[in-house]
Amino acid sequence: MMDRETIICRCEEVTYEELITTADSYHCSARELKLRTRAGMGICGGRTCRFLIEDAAEESKEKVYENIPLKYQPPVRPMRFDEGGKNK
Amino acid sequence: MNEAEVVIIGAGPAGLSAAIQSARCGLRVTVLDEFMKPGGRLLGQLHEEKKGVWWNGIEEADRLYEDAVNSGVHIRLGTTVYHIEKENRWVTETSEGTWESRCLLLAAGAAETPLPISGWTLPGVMSIGAAQVMTNVHRVTPGNKGIIIGINPLTMAIARELQLAGVEIEGIYIPPYEKKFRQMETPEQILAGMQRMAHLAPSFLLRVGSRFLVNQWTRQKAIQFYPKKGLSVWGIPIHFDKTVTKIIGENEVKGGFISSINAEGIIKEEEQYRKEVDFVCISGGLYPLVELAAVAGCPFYLIPELGGHIPLHNQTMHTPVEGLFVAGNITGIESAKIAMVQGETAGLSMGKAVNGTSRDIEEKLHQSVQNEKRIRAEALIQFHPEVKKGREKMHELWQNYVKESAAAKE
Repeated sequence: MMDRETIICRCEEVTYEELITTADSYHCSARELKLRTRAGMGICGGRTCRFLIEDAAEESKEKVYENIPLKYQPPVRPMRFDEGGKNK
Repeated sequence: MNEAEVVIIGAGPAGLSAAIQSARCGLRVTVLDEFMKPGGRLLGQLHEEKKGVWWNGIEEADRLYEDAVNSGVHIRLGTTVYHIEKENRWVTETSEGTWESRCLLLAAGAAETPLPISGWTLPGVMSIGAAQVMTNVHRVTPGNKGIIIGINPLTMAIARELQLAGVEIEGIYIPPYEKKFRQMETPEQILAGMQRMAHLAPSFLLRVGSRFLVNQWTRQKAIQFYPKKGLSVWGIPIHFDKTVTKIIGENEVKGGFISSINAEGIIKEEEQYRKEVDFVCISGGLYPLVELAAVAGCPFYLIPELGGHIPLHNQTMHTPVEGLFVAGNITGIESAKIAMVQGETAGLSMGKAVNGTSRDIEEKLHQSVQNEKRIRAEALIQFHPEVKKGREKMHELWQNYVKESAAAKE
């Protein structure tokens, strides 16, 4: 059994307890769980905790065969604001 | 705006091999990589393939880099790709500017699967791949004495490398069992997957006796009667009956809290103790880094034998997206040798896409696809015992896709 205070999303400091209680109370999808807790929404873009969020969500009981449960969006790495407007 | 006929993302074994082949087809090739050295994961690899024959990844990386430069490949390091987009041509947006190209190859490899463990955010806790990069690339040891959590092919290879660098490994433990997380299995489930490591630790398997791993009952017995001191490989004790329930320390790692567990992963409260160490490696295995393929709109399928969700592709490394190719670990977790030959195939496919077909290129492509199968059959590090089955699944999915899109056109 995992210690419930274990941090799952480091960037947004979301614990296992928060993820499990949210998933249980709202029976939510991975995306809803992400939006409710902010897990996976920090600077790393969920590179560490993405699969843990998917597993913690209710829907993961039936494995998603096609497509990826949590969407990937650009920029896929953190970038500086001044790099966004440049046209090099 | 920079321009090339081929842009390759990733300067590892797949990307560099592809670059060499495309350049030899006469194409203008640019390789982008976010790291400051070329070679990708090759840089960390050092292992004995058989008695006296060593695989030295740094030498392999140097050779590929030289070949690429001599073939006229343009290599841009320290360049982070943020986004790829198809307009008329492919547009790759990076920290160092934008590239336009006819063909784009995704060869960015894999990332490590995390195992959340109480205390894993302390300084001194790292993924096993990070320990490998520190030791073999930067030549800095991660600590004096460490614990490794998680047992898979990477664990065994890197534990050996750390030992060769003079770092003491106190022991290798299995992760705590947690039903919710697919990566945190029971000892019995882990043993069931053990045959995939037979070639990496033959003496170990001989001692456990591979016949004990064949069914659930024998595996439960193997855990129940597992030696309390562990079984050693290269003098490193491996504990299939113990886990690290907590990593201890206030400002940095001071040790681990070790607990005995039964075959179902239940902790035995009466058998718990502390071990003093100054670093901890977490080894959860690898998964394909597919973010850019997803952004490009590639279709995906979950193929556990290949390590996760894999972009649809064929044996010549085409995706269904025009001008987009894949090679290396993005197509499934396998060794650097497979990545190299897939890179060669992709390089040739891009040559064909730009120059048109010829008898020579068709022959080379055919040969390269056959090489991949031969190398897989001879593979020393097989990350999943059923890689071949996974590859066949993908082949079938591609054929279905071709059939369906032909039907849709009619």
